[in-house]
Amino acid sequence: MIRSKALIASLLLILPALPALAGDSPQEQRQELMEDVGGAAKKIGKMMKGETEFDAAVANQALVVWAESAEPFGKLFPEGSDSGYDTEAKATIWSDPEGFEEQLALFAEKTSAAVAANPQDLEALKASGGAVFKVCKSCHEGYRVDD
Amino acid sequence: MRWKILLLIAVAFVAAFWFVTRPQSLAPADLATGVPDLDNGAVVFHAGGCAACHGEDLAGGLEMTTPFGTFNVPNISPDPDTGIGAWSELDFANAMLLGVSPEGKHYYPAFPYPSYTRMDMHDLHDLKAYLDRREPLAKEAPGHDLSFPFNIRRGIGFWKQRYVTAAPIVADEQLPPNALRGRYLAEALGHCGECHTPRDRFGGPDYRRWLAGGPNPDGEGRVPNITPHESGLAGWSENDIAYYLESGFTPEFDTVGGSMVKVQENFARLSDQDRQAVAAYLKAVAAHAGEH
Repeated sequence: MIRSKALIASLLLILPALPALAGDSPQEQRQELMEDVGGAAKKIGKMMKGETEFDAAVANQALVVWAESAEPFGKLFPEGSDSGYDTEAKATIWSDPEGFEEQLALFAEKTSAAVAANPQDLEALKASGGAVFKVCKSCHEGYRVDD
Repeated sequence: MRWKILLLIAVAFVAAFWFVTRPQSLAPADLATGVPDLDNGAVVFHAGGCAACHGEDLAGGLEMTTPFGTFNVPNISPDPDTGIGAWSELDFANAMLLGVSPEGKHYYPAFPYPSYTRMDMHDLHDLKAYLDRREPLAKEAPGHDLSFPFNIRRGIGFWKQRYVTAAPIVADEQLPPNALRGRYLAEALGHCGECHTPRDRFGGPDYRRWLAGGPNPDGEGRVPNITPHESGLAGWSENDIAYYLESGFTPEFDTVGGSMVKVQENFARLSDQDRQAVAAYLKAVAAHAGEH
C-alpha cells in the first residue's frame, strides 16, 4: 500500500516532465535543435568575422554543440512532418531523401572533424568552421523554404 | 467629311504609336575601343550576375515565371547560331544599354537592361571580350510565353519611355565618396533594384520606394527591404552587409536563401572594396518602410 502510494507519487513527479520529452512535435523539436545550432554558429561566426575575440574554449564548446546535434537532427524529419508549426522544411526533404541524407552525413562529418581538429587559433577555427558553414548553406539552399 | 477627320486622327495615332515606340540604336562612335581588360570583364560578368539567369555555361534555360507570362532565358554563349557569337559590339551595346535586339526589336525588361543602361562603355567593351572567349554551346532557347497585350513587343517602347533612365537613382550629394562605386555596382551591374524595388501594375519599378522590397517577381515569397529602414537593414552595419555578400551569412548567422544565393556567390568573387562599396551605398540610400 505504502509502496504503491510512493510509486504513484513518483509517477506524478515525473509526469510534468514527460510532454517536453515525448509530446513535442518533430517540427518543434527540430526547430529547437536548430536554435542551438544557430546559437553555436553565431559564437563561431562572430569570431571568424572578427566581431568577437577568439576564445578557444568557447569555440570548441560551440563545435561540440554542432557535432552533437548532427545525429538527433536526422531523426526529426519523419514523413508527415512537412507542414504546421511554421515549419520551413522544404518538400524536397521527402522527395529527394538521398540528397538530404547526404547533407546530413556531410554535416556529421564536418562537425566531428571540427571537434577533432580542436582549433587553438583563429586560422584553425576559420578552416574547421568554414567547412561546416558551407554545409549549412548548401543544405538550406536545397532543403529549406525561403520566404 | 466626318469620317475623313476620324480616319486622319486614327492614322495620326498609329503614326504616333509607331514613332514613340520605335527601337533606338547607339552609334558606332559611342563604343569604347582599345585592348579589352579581360580581368575587368570577369568582374563585370560576376557583378552583373549574367550566369544567375543564363546559366553557368551561359546556354540559357532558366524559366522566369512572372504575372505577365513565362520568359525563357536565352543562350548568350558565343555560339554564332543559337548564342550571341555573331553579334557585333554595337549589337551587344544596343542589347545591354537600350534593350534592343540586333534585329531592331525591343527586349522584354525581364532582361535587366533598365539597370544595365547605366553601364560604363569600357566595362561593356571588357565584358564583350570576356563573353567572346567563353565556350560556345549550341542550344536553342524556347520562345517566351506571354499573355496579351504583353506579347506585343512594340508596346515595350512605351514602357521604356516611362521607366528606363540612364540617370542614377540616388544622387551624388546623398552619397559618401566610397559609395559611388557601390552605386554603380548596385544600380547598374548588380541590378539589385530589379528584385528589391517593388513594381507597379505595369511591371515598372516604383522608384519612390527604391529597394524597399516586395513580392517576389519570380515566384513565391517576398524580396526583403534592403534600405536602412527598421524593416530593412537598419540593424546591419556596413561590415555586416559586406560579410553577407562575401560569406552568405546574416548577422544572426542564418544563411542566404532563394535566388539571392547566386547573387551572393557572384559578389563573393568581387574584391572586398567592391563589397564594402555596395554596403556603403545601401546604408546611404533613403529608408523606406517595406510593403506589407
